[in-house]
This record gives sequence, C-alpha cells and structure tokens, in this order.
Amino acid sequence: MLSFFRFLARHTAYLFLLLYCSISVLLMQLQRKETLEAIRSRGLSVNASVAEQMSAVSDLFSLKQYNEHLLLQNARLFSTVVHQGQAIRDSRNLNAMVAKDSAHAYNRFIVARVVDRRFSHTDNTIIINAGWRRGVEKDMAVLTPDGLVGRVTKVTENYAKVMPVINKSFKVSVVSDSSSTYGVLSWNGGNETLAHMENVPASSRLKAGEHLATSDHSTFAVRGIPVGKIVRVSGNKLFSDIDVRLYIDYSSLTYVLVSPEKASPEKLEIMYNEEVKPKIPQKPFGR
Amino acid sequence: MLKKYPFYTVSLIVLAIVQQFVVSKLVIFGATPDILAVFIAFTSVMLGQRTGTNYGFAAGLFLGFLSGNIGLSALVGTVEGFLAGYYHVPEESYATTVKKRRMFYFASATALVAGNLLFALLINPMAVPLYFRIPSLLVIGTLSSMVLTVLMYQLVLKKLQKD
Repeated sequence: MLSFFRFLARHTAYLFLLLYCSISVLLMQLQRKETLEAIRSRGLSVNASVAEQMSAVSDLFSLKQYNEHLLLQNARLFSTVVHQGQAIRDSRNLNAMVAKDSAHAYNRFIVARVVDRRFSHTDNTIIINAGWRRGVEKDMAVLTPDGLVGRVTKVTENYAKVMPVINKSFKVSVVSDSSSTYGVLSWNGGNETLAHMENVPASSRLKAGEHLATSDHSTFAVRGIPVGKIVRVSGNKLFSDIDVRLYIDYSSLTYVLVSPEKASPEKLEIMYNEEVKPKIPQKPFGR
Repeated sequence: MLKKYPFYTVSLIVLAIVQQFVVSKLVIFGATPDILAVFIAFTSVMLGQRTGTNYGFAAGLFLGFLSGNIGLSALVGTVEGFLAGYYHVPEESYATTVKKRRMFYFASATALVAGNLLFALLINPMAVPLYFRIPSLLVIGTLSSMVLTVLMYQLVLKKLQKD
C-alpha cells in the first residue's frame, strides 16, 4: 500500500494530466448540456462586451483614417455624379440632334463622339470614336445637323482623324442657295467662325445673307450639306472677296455624324485621270 | 517560491485576455500566434511539470470560457503544460542562462506543436480538409508563436528567469 502511495506521489503529474484530460473531454462531450451552454453563453457575452469596448477604443484611433476613407469615397461619388451629369447632357444633345435632323436620313449616318481635338492657328484636327470597324472610311464627310464639320483623313480600327473646315489645308466646293453661285470654301487661320469663299467672279450676283451648302463638285461630300452664311462680300476687279460665317461652333462640338455617302469614284476618276478608258460592254462573238 | 504563484496566476489571466482580444486578431492563413501557450511553457519550465499542468488546465479553462471552447481549450492547455514540464529546470540546479533559455525554447516548441496539432485535429476553424489544416496550423501557428516566444523571452521572461 505504501509503495502504491509512493508511486502516486512520484507520478502526480501523470495523475493530474489524466484527471484534467478526462475533465476536458467530459466538458467537450457535455458542451450541449444546458448548464455548460449557459456558462459558454455567459463567457461569450463577456467576450462580446469586452470586444465591443475595445472596438470603441480602437475606433477612436482610426477616426482619422476613417475620415480619409470617407473623403475618398465622397470624391469618387462626386466624380461619378459629374460624369453622369455629363453623360446626361451628352444624351440630351444627341437627342436634340436626332430631333433636328428630320430632313436627313439619320439612320444612314454613323454617329460618333468627338474624343480629342487639337486647335491651333494653323493645323486643327479632331478625333472621333468611330473607325473602320463601324464603317468609317477615308474621305467621308463629317457633319452635324447644323452643317459640315470636315472630312475624314485617317482611319484606324476604332478612331478616325477629321480635318475640320477650319484647317488651312481644307477646301470644299460650295454653292449659294439664292444665286446658285459656285465657289471654294477655305479657311485662312485666325477666327474659327469665319471662312472665305474663293474663285467667285466679281460679276456674280452673290449677296450677304445667302446660305452656302456643299455642291456636286465636291470630291468627298454629298451636295446640300449646310456650311455657313455669307456675311460680307467685297470685290476687286476679277474675284470677289467673301467672308462666310460657319454654322458649326467647334468649341462645343460633342457629337458628329459621318456620312457614308461619298462622291462617285467614277466621277473622281474621270476628273483626275486624263487617260480613262471607257468601259464599253462588247457584244459577244458568235451566235 | 510561494510568492511566485500569485504572479503566475495573474499573468496567465492577463495573457488569456490579451490572447483572446488582441493576439487572436492576428490571423495568418487561419492560424494565430499563441501567447498563452508560450507562458504556460515558461511556467512549466520554471515551476515544474505538475504545476505547469495545473496552470495549463486553469489557463485553458479561462480562455475557453472567453472563447466558447471550454473543453478543448482546457485539454490543449493541460497537454501543453504537461509536455513543457519535461524541460523543467529546477531552481536549485546550477543551470547556465544559455541552458535555461534553450530549455524554454524547446518547451515552447513542444507545447506549441502539441497544442496546434490537438487544435487542428479537434476543431476546424478554417473549414478546410484535415490534410491542409494540420500542416497549415502546425507550421504557421508554431512559427508565428515561436517568433513571439523569442520576443517575450528577450524582453520580459529573461529577467523573470534571473529573479
């Protein structure tokens, strides 16, 4: 018996281990029992309340960061509001353009948005977000219901470069509505609303106030696209000096239409190529 | 010697609270460092296997009361205290500081491996398969706790060991 107690005294750690492990396993098994469940619930409520207090304390330290986060969020929301407002305005403009364009077969035109513009005294260009993927080709006319904007000079997959009327290299054949006087419209730089009509003989009956539109002589635009209004006619011995106020306000140009109709290739061929061989259908030989 | 018991008791209660409300928030791939296991190991090394087992059980019970896993925490604490007790350095021994430190590190590593293994086997906090859970908890849990072990020893426990 004595040796048994000695053994126990020597191995109390094992006994404690056995005892505590048994209690622990018992507690694990009895976790669903009401009493233990109540103890666990009490423990969890203590845990939750302490965690809440600690969270409140840590919130105090994180207020600055939280404010910065709110400011950033506010900035993001404000940016969204601004962009959406812009989109609504664009949509209104587009709707107005569509409504105004009842005379034109709107559906045939390709609608594009001006995504970039480079305006200077000499070389103005516009970039629109429609390229060959949407059917835009080089030398197509670009317009709005108000009038002619320019011509397509370069096309990529999704974008096109437009040479506007207010470019020194731009020229278009125009005709006046009342006197049917033909001439060439060009821009010499300076005021972006004023262009000039050239090659008009001094003997013409052209008067201020007449409206100009593209003519059949144009190499890229179909006839009848409004261009501008004559504001001043002054002449010398041979040719008249004519100022034209353009209909397009380039400073607020947002949406444009690209006209898929181009001048007839046959007409261009015969105009620029002197050695055009007529393609006469030949009668078949034999019976 | 007797004066040390209240100190260890209070320390274990405080560390259980710190473990539950602070350290347990440092979750690394589902595993958290175990500051309480480190101190249980220290207690066992300093006060012996039997006392370490007692403290381990009590500390585990208290932590379980806070966390909701009373049985499991008590079991883990008991096993940790018991296993760490094998590295006990008696007060009357003339062990060098280096030896004491080495024994404490061994005790901590043993307790942490055993505790994490038990925990991984008996509970599934990450809801992942066992073959992933055990290595993950064992490796990450033990390594992160060993970092704490070294820090705690160098900053605090070294001074306590000398006293």
